[in-house]
Amino acid sequence: MGVEAFLLGLSNGAICLAYCAPVLVPCLMGGVGASGLKSDSLVVLRFLAGRMLGYVAFGVIAWVLGHSLTRMAGLQEPVVGCCFLILSIFLALYALTGREHTCAHSRVTALALRMGASPRLLPGLAGLASGLNFCPPFLIALLAASRPGTLQGSVFFFLAFFVGTSLFFIPVPFVGMLRRFPSVRIVGKMAAGIMGLYYAYTGLTMLIGGLRTL
Amino acid sequence: MKRTLRSFLLSLPMLLLTALMLTGGSIPREPSRLAALILTYLFFNTFFFLMLHKGRTDRYRAVLFVTYSVAFVIAFVSHLVEARGSMALTEANMIEGETPFCHVVIPMTLIPAALTKTIIFPGSITGTHASIAGMFVLWIGASLALGRGFCGWACFFGGLEDGFSRLLKKPLIKGIRPSWSYLPYAVLLAVVLIAAISLSPTYCMWLCPFKTVTEYVQVTSVKIAIQTAIFLSLFLGLVIVLPILTRRRTQCSFLCPFGAFQSFTNKVNAFDIRIDPDRCVKCGLCTKSCPTFSIDEASIKKGTTRLSCMKCGKCVDTCPKGAIAYHVKGTQLSRGILPRMLFLYPAFLFMSIMAGRQIQDAIVRIIRLVTTGSMI
Amino acid sequence: MKKLLSVLGYGWAVITIFIVLATFIGNNYFSKKFAGATGVTVSPWFSGGEVTLVVEHGAYRVSVHRPVFDGLTGERSEGFVQIDWKPAGGLPRVVTESITLPDGERVLVRLDTATGIAEATSESAGVLGVERAYKLRDGWAVRVLLRRLRSS
Repeated sequence: MGVEAFLLGLSNGAICLAYCAPVLVPCLMGGVGASGLKSDSLVVLRFLAGRMLGYVAFGVIAWVLGHSLTRMAGLQEPVVGCCFLILSIFLALYALTGREHTCAHSRVTALALRMGASPRLLPGLAGLASGLNFCPPFLIALLAASRPGTLQGSVFFFLAFFVGTSLFFIPVPFVGMLRRFPSVRIVGKMAAGIMGLYYAYTGLTMLIGGLRTL
Repeated sequence: MKRTLRSFLLSLPMLLLTALMLTGGSIPREPSRLAALILTYLFFNTFFFLMLHKGRTDRYRAVLFVTYSVAFVIAFVSHLVEARGSMALTEANMIEGETPFCHVVIPMTLIPAALTKTIIFPGSITGTHASIAGMFVLWIGASLALGRGFCGWACFFGGLEDGFSRLLKKPLIKGIRPSWSYLPYAVLLAVVLIAAISLSPTYCMWLCPFKTVTEYVQVTSVKIAIQTAIFLSLFLGLVIVLPILTRRRTQCSFLCPFGAFQSFTNKVNAFDIRIDPDRCVKCGLCTKSCPTFSIDEASIKKGTTRLSCMKCGKCVDTCPKGAIAYHVKGTQLSRGILPRMLFLYPAFLFMSIMAGRQIQDAIVRIIRLVTTGSMI
Repeated sequence: MKKLLSVLGYGWAVITIFIVLATFIGNNYFSKKFAGATGVTVSPWFSGGEVTLVVEHGAYRVSVHRPVFDGLTGERSEGFVQIDWKPAGGLPRVVTESITLPDGERVLVRLDTATGIAEATSESAGVLGVERAYKLRDGWAVRVLLRRLRSS
C-alpha cells in the first residue's frame, strides 16, 4: 500500500509542482530571509512541511468520514477559500516589506515590517493552503486513502503520497540562485503581490461559493 | 543639394521595397483603394526620406507610429462590426475559433504549448485573419530582426500611448521611482504561471487595457463586468492619463508582460543603443526623455541602455552632444551613418508593411464614410 | 578577431532586412510549416475537443466531441463534453440526443432551439448538468459538465 501511494505521488508530482509554483517561485525570487542555497532549501522545506500538515489533516478527516466525499467536498471550498484569503494577505504584506517608504500610510508600513520580520510564516502557510487544496492528484489520493479503514492506514497513505510528490520539489531551491541579481528580488516581491491578488480573488469566490452550498 | 541627393539615393531601396510590399504585386483598380495606396506610399516614403535627410529618428517615427495605431483601431473595429455586428466577442465566437490572435498573449501560451501541444487561445491555427501560426511567424521574424524594437516600431497598440505622451510640452508628474519599471516582469511571471495552471490567457481576460479599442467579451455575468471595469480603468489610466501627465509610455513601462518578455530578445538582436562615455556630459536629458525608463545612471556608466530599450531613437535625437547612437553588435562604436541605416531599414520596413495595410484600410473606410455616411 | 566580429555583426545586421521580407512574403508558407512541425492545436477548453461521433438525422447532424478533462500535465477532476447541432436551418424546435460517455454512462441532452435552454439528464453522478447552450453561426453547441469519478 505504501509503495502504491508513493508511486501515485510520483506520477502526479509534476501537477503538484505546477499548482504550487505560483507561490513558491515569487517567494524564492524575492527572498525570504538570508540568501543562499541552504536558506532557500529551508524555505522549500517549510513549504513542504505546511503541505504535509495539510495532507495529514486530510488523512485524519478521510478516516473519520470514511467515504462521505460529498460532505468533504462541501467543507473544502470555504476552508480552502479562507486559507487562500489569509495567504493573499501574507503575500501582499511580503510584497510590501524590505523596501524603504513602501507605503505612505505609517500603520501599513509598520504592520508590513512586523509581518516581514517573520518571513518563515509565509512558506509554511502557502504550503498548508496548497496542501488543503483539492488539486487533481490530491483527489485521487483522497479516494485511495479512504480504503485502508484505519486512521494509521489513511495517514500513512497520505504521507507516502506526499513523499512521492515532494521529489519534484528538489530542483526548486535553485530558483533562489537568481536572487544574486537585484532586479530579480524586486520582480519576485512584486510578483508575490500580484499572486496575492489572484489568491484573494480565488479565495473570495471559493468562500462565497462554499458558504452558499453549505 | 549634395545631402539631399545622398538622402534620396539612400531612400531608393526603401521606395522599391515598399512599392513591392504595399501593392503585393498588383495595383488596385478601385479608385478609393488606389488613392489609399498612393497616399500611404507617399506618407511612408516622405517620412523615411526626412528621417535620413534630417538625421532625426524619433520625431518622424512617432508620426507614423501614432497614425498606425489610430488606423489600426479604425480598421479593426470596422472589420469586427462588419463581420459580427459589434465589438463584443461572444462565447460562440470563441468556440468557433474566430478570435484574432494578438501578440501579447504569446508568453502565456508557451508553457501550455510545450506540455500539452495546445494553444490556450480561442483562435484558429491557420487560414484566418490574424491566425495563431501567422502571428507566431510575425513575432519570430520581429524578434530576430528588431528585438524589443518591435515595441517601438511594430506594435499596433504602442502608438496610442506614444501619441498621448506627446500632448504636453513638459511632464506634470516627474520623479517616478525607477523600480516601478520592473513591474511588467512581475506581471509576466504572474500571468505565465497562472495561465499555465488555469489553461486560460490570464492577462487577456483580466488586464489587457486594449480591449477598449479592439474587442471584449460580451458582459453576461458579474465576473465579466468586473473584468470590463478593470480593463477600462487601465486604459484610461495607463494609456491616456498617465502618458499625458508623465510624457512616458506608462502601459509599456509598468504593465505590458509582452514588452517584458520581448526585452529578452534584445539579447539575441543585432542592434543596440550605445552611449559614448567620452562625449557624454551627464546632463540627464536622455534619462528624462526615454519613454520606457530604459536609461539610468548605471546604464550610462556601462555605455548602453537597459534591456527594456525599444530602440525608438528618442534618446539619440535628444542628446545635445551626439553621444548616443545606434550600434551593430560586434562592431566598433561609430559616428557614421552605417549602423543607423542598417537598423532603420529593417525597422522601417517592418513598420511600413504592418502599418501600410492598416492605414490603407482606414483611408478606404474614411473615404467610404465621407461619400456614403458609413464606414462599413 | 575584432575584424571577424565586425564582419559577423554587419552580416547579421544585413540579414535582418531579408528576415523582415521573408516574414511577410513567406508568412502563409511559414505558418503552415510551423503548424505542421509543432502539431499544435487550439486548446480543447476553447474548441471543444475533437469530434468522435457524427450522427445524421436527415436535415441536420449531431457531432459529439470527446470529453475534455485536459490539464497541464494530467487530467482535471472536472470537465465537459460538447455536442453540436448543425445546420441551424434544418433543426426542429426541440432536439434531443442520447450520448454514451467513454465510461459507459448515458446522457440525454435536450435543447430548445427557440429559447436556447438546454438540459442534461443522466443517472450517473459524474454528469453535473449543462454549462451553457451556445448559438453558433450555423447551429448550436451545448456543453455538459462532467466530473471524473474514477482515478486515472
